[in-house]
Amino acid sequence: MTNASYQNQKVRKHYDVAFPIVNTVILILLMFVTLYPVINTVAYSFNDGTDALKAGIGLWPRVFSTKSYESILSDPAVYQAAWISASKTVIITVLNLFWTSMLAYTLTRKEYVLRKVITTMMVLTMYVNAGLIPNYLLISRTLHLRNTYWVYIIPTMFSCFNMVVLRTYIAGLPEALVESARIDGAGDIRIFWQIIFPLCKPVLATVALFVAVGSWNSWFDTHLYNASKTELHSLQYLLKMKLATTNQSANAANASVEALTSSAASKTTPVTIRCAITVVSTVPILVVYPFLQKYFVTGMVLGSVKG
Amino acid sequence: MRKLLSVLLALCLLGSLLVPFAVAEDQEPITLTYFYGAPGDQPNPDNKIYKMIEDEFGIKFEFEFLAGDLDETLGLKLQDEVYPDLFDGGNSAETLIDAGALINLLDYVNPEDTPNLWAHIEPEKNRIITHDDELDEDVMYIIPNYGLGEGEQIVNSVGGPAFFIQKQVLAWDNYPTIKTLDEYFDLIERFIAANPTNPDGVPYVGFDILTEDWRRFCMINPVQHLMGRPNDGEVLVDVNKDDYPTETFINQPYAKPYYKKLNEEFHKGIISPDTFVMSYDQYIAQLSSGIVLGMFDQAWDFGDATNALLTDKKYENTYVALGLVYDEDDVPAEDMPEGWTIEEHYVNGSLPNLDRGAGISVTCKYPERIIAMWEKLLSPEWAMIMNWGIEGEDYSIEDGRLTMTPEQFANTTDMEWRKSNRAYAIWDSSPKRQGYIMEGDLAGNCWEPGNQPENVFGLMNDYDKDFLSHYGFSKFGDFVNPPIELAPYGEAWQINKDPINKDYQDFLNIQDTQLPQVIMAPEGEFDAKWDAFVEAINPSCEVYSNFMHEEILKLVAAYYGE
Amino acid sequence: MTNYTQGTARYVSPKKKGFFQKLASQWQLALMSVPIFLYVLLFNYFPMWGWRNAFLDYSSKKLVARGITPYIGFDNFKWLFSRQDFLLSIRNTLAMSLINLVFGTVSAIVLAVLLNEVRQKMFKRTVQTITYLPHFLSMVIIVAMAQNIFASNGPVNDLLGLLGIQPVFWLGEGKHFWWLVGIINVWKEVGWGTIIYISAMTAIDPALYEAASIDGAGRFQKILHVTLPGIKSTFVILLIMNIGHLMEAGFEIQYLLGNGLTAEFSRTIDVFVLEYGTSQMDFGVATAAGIFKSVVAIILLLGANFISRRLGEDTLV
Repeated sequence: MTNASYQNQKVRKHYDVAFPIVNTVILILLMFVTLYPVINTVAYSFNDGTDALKAGIGLWPRVFSTKSYESILSDPAVYQAAWISASKTVIITVLNLFWTSMLAYTLTRKEYVLRKVITTMMVLTMYVNAGLIPNYLLISRTLHLRNTYWVYIIPTMFSCFNMVVLRTYIAGLPEALVESARIDGAGDIRIFWQIIFPLCKPVLATVALFVAVGSWNSWFDTHLYNASKTELHSLQYLLKMKLATTNQSANAANASVEALTSSAASKTTPVTIRCAITVVSTVPILVVYPFLQKYFVTGMVLGSVKG
Repeated sequence: MRKLLSVLLALCLLGSLLVPFAVAEDQEPITLTYFYGAPGDQPNPDNKIYKMIEDEFGIKFEFEFLAGDLDETLGLKLQDEVYPDLFDGGNSAETLIDAGALINLLDYVNPEDTPNLWAHIEPEKNRIITHDDELDEDVMYIIPNYGLGEGEQIVNSVGGPAFFIQKQVLAWDNYPTIKTLDEYFDLIERFIAANPTNPDGVPYVGFDILTEDWRRFCMINPVQHLMGRPNDGEVLVDVNKDDYPTETFINQPYAKPYYKKLNEEFHKGIISPDTFVMSYDQYIAQLSSGIVLGMFDQAWDFGDATNALLTDKKYENTYVALGLVYDEDDVPAEDMPEGWTIEEHYVNGSLPNLDRGAGISVTCKYPERIIAMWEKLLSPEWAMIMNWGIEGEDYSIEDGRLTMTPEQFANTTDMEWRKSNRAYAIWDSSPKRQGYIMEGDLAGNCWEPGNQPENVFGLMNDYDKDFLSHYGFSKFGDFVNPPIELAPYGEAWQINKDPINKDYQDFLNIQDTQLPQVIMAPEGEFDAKWDAFVEAINPSCEVYSNFMHEEILKLVAAYYGE
Repeated sequence: MTNYTQGTARYVSPKKKGFFQKLASQWQLALMSVPIFLYVLLFNYFPMWGWRNAFLDYSSKKLVARGITPYIGFDNFKWLFSRQDFLLSIRNTLAMSLINLVFGTVSAIVLAVLLNEVRQKMFKRTVQTITYLPHFLSMVIIVAMAQNIFASNGPVNDLLGLLGIQPVFWLGEGKHFWWLVGIINVWKEVGWGTIIYISAMTAIDPALYEAASIDGAGRFQKILHVTLPGIKSTFVILLIMNIGHLMEAGFEIQYLLGNGLTAEFSRTIDVFVLEYGTSQMDFGVATAAGIFKSVVAIILLLGANFISRRLGEDTLV
């Protein structure tokens, strides 16, 4: 062993010892930076609304109050809305995983004659948008989905971005898996369901997270199609409305002065309601996340194939 | 004979069936869809007022409140041609009228059938009823939801635009009378020199200029008031001339002294550059902390901050509205519009809120029922229910005066309480009684709890009472002149600027980007920056001025019935 | 050649077969993809008739409300490109989305790699969960915090003061605006952005790490030669997709963080369209801008895809 390479080896050893420490320090710092706004939001949400107007709250409420949460959770409509949101999120997630992964698989098959045309058409949908009105008219007039629960499900069963994510992942799996199954006489449907789909757990967990968060956080569909059906309101729509109402003293700019001075006072303020809403709508995601997180383990997938 | 009898019998039966049926149809329970063009809370199912409305009129409501963008929402509803029965287009109701989505209420409203509604609009009918040249008939699509008050105009305090100053600043200088820009800024400068920080050591901010989005009016609107006009938005109208000369004021020579003054104050440190990057929330935070000594704004725009200060009992940090005008030597005579004299008028005559409120859509099957409801809501008993609530529960009557306990009065502005105890959405967008009760046992009281002197002054804190006594005033409205007569065209900001929208957007954008630069111009560069600003904004100002002048002339002609 | 049986021909010389014959033999693949393809045609392509709005005159609300929208050819496009501030908004959009793309991708990959190196399971999960939380805070909340942090007398300027640097007017000078947007976006999205890379790392064969160890590779070599190549195709595909999205810089953060002083640098295409199109119900101008964005996006996308193919990397289409 030459002196130089010995030296190299030694330096490398130093790195290997120092790296975990440096890495830990970096990650801890990063946690502080990203945790601060979160804790700050929680602190505001538990602060008295009027007092919070003065700003300057850090990691702990200045004047503790649960009024913002009371005003959100005391509304019986919140529970119905949470049910609507939860159920549509589950249904959409399941349907999305089903359609999206199936399509992604077919588009990794190089011999598939429709591969090119379908891929191109799908990918382009991410970059072209017809605009709000034609989409609205399609759903409202052509399909008559207004004022129905189905408007949450049918238009959002598929996502091209997630399809691409899945396709990339499947394409990275060893081709031999498919080949050997085909030699055993398996058709594509069986290959997909019995071999590929189970191997996609981590990326399915990722896509499930994307879809579920997107569906859980959407309010625009309710606003467009189900605003007058109170029993179909989604949670995010209701929360958004809550915030908008709290903001209303500002929105009513053009109404007469008499009305405004009489409605200016309110016990909760947008500053704290906004934060409480964020907490209320994020907690369910936080609860679900660990269940998905366990799939994000390096090497797990192929280890299981080979083992 | 038997045949005849049976026919008669049958007819009687039919008749007996028909008669109650006809009555029932009048009160047959119906559910009306209601779009409300602003955010709002769904009323609770047990709401007592909506229950009374249902019992009395047989009408239930299915509300849709606005969650997204108003114009976008209305645009989609119009494209889809699915209209709610009652349609309140909020601040864009013109769109509904233009689209023909609303029925002409004059088919139902007249002195015979609807005496209450007619009496309600009669004093202002020249403004409310317009003539549609295409249809060649008089039309009224929406009955104004506010501003048709009875009796003398109530000005307890300035609710609109003014230069505001903290009460402690006036108290510190032994309660002076401030009338001009120079006096105003001089006082703030002296106060800050003597008290650079508040008792907690936080530095005072001399003067804030809010510029966030549409709240740019805090930066732009003052000039018209300094010239002695109430709020016409962005134009100055000479109401004393027959042809109502109209021009945008921001690009005129008489606007320059104000921004010159702001530029000087900027260099003296009274105005901080941070004011131009401030969000509305930050502005409210500053005001609520009691460190801002003065600003130009409209009182409703910082109601939250006032509430916060009152909650903290920082009465000396709350604000007084001052009606500042240019001093005669502020503006060189040659820069003044021809024949213009300056007299302070911050408060305008009562203004009907034209084209604002609910209309009835063309697809509604029960317009008569709605009209009948509105008619009844204007009756004294229902007006009391809508405005004050239920006697004994929400208010009481003592010696002919309407009174509320402090808790009851606080309830009226509590949104949670309202969800069960007020028909707020209906109240807000329907025609309503305002001003003074003119007849009956309760004459002399106010139609609205928020205006009743007992509610306004009974709850006034001792600091304010003492403060007012130094000026010999009974109310904060006394700091400004009494209302001027409303111009025949109303207030120019109400005019719909859609036809020149793109020029108008330019007009706004140039002000947003360049006016702060003018105010912050380095010493010696102010004139150059000002000239560049005027040059940049002139083209859009010209389009805007001409458009507004035409519209104002149309409104004036309509008002005088020409 | 003539001796080939039907069965072997399917695999040996597929080119000889007609399109429909091949499709028939691939009926299972078709069954799995054609229904969803038809679905996409209905929901994404059928409404494309809306693009004709770009050639109609929506400028008068009054006429539009009555359903009168005359055909005006390319006037909406001409109007857009005659506007100096629209051209500026293209510049701002590209600048901000490019900064976001570079900062966002690099920070997400770095964090994903660092997380991948953590052996302590609990710590790893905690970091992951905490760093992705800001994604769920609304832009309003994040921007309000940023406005306080970058205020004239805020912590950033305090820090600079300690280093003897004059305070900077971060929020009021246009030249800082793009970078502030970049920083805020990284702050908010870095944790969320790692998720996709971490899931890609799960597919890396553990044997590769073992082999590298046996070859005497240290941590850095393993990152360089195993981890990064393992996520390369995900990176390339995401990069191509995001290059196609360069025309989208959004409007929310710009609207919230911007002000009159920074407008020259903060106004994006979407903000411009909002001000001069959508908010005035001028769907003609809004659609024209949308078509322009789509066309540029497709050109960028195909360009990136082409380059990637030339370099022998993965392709999107």
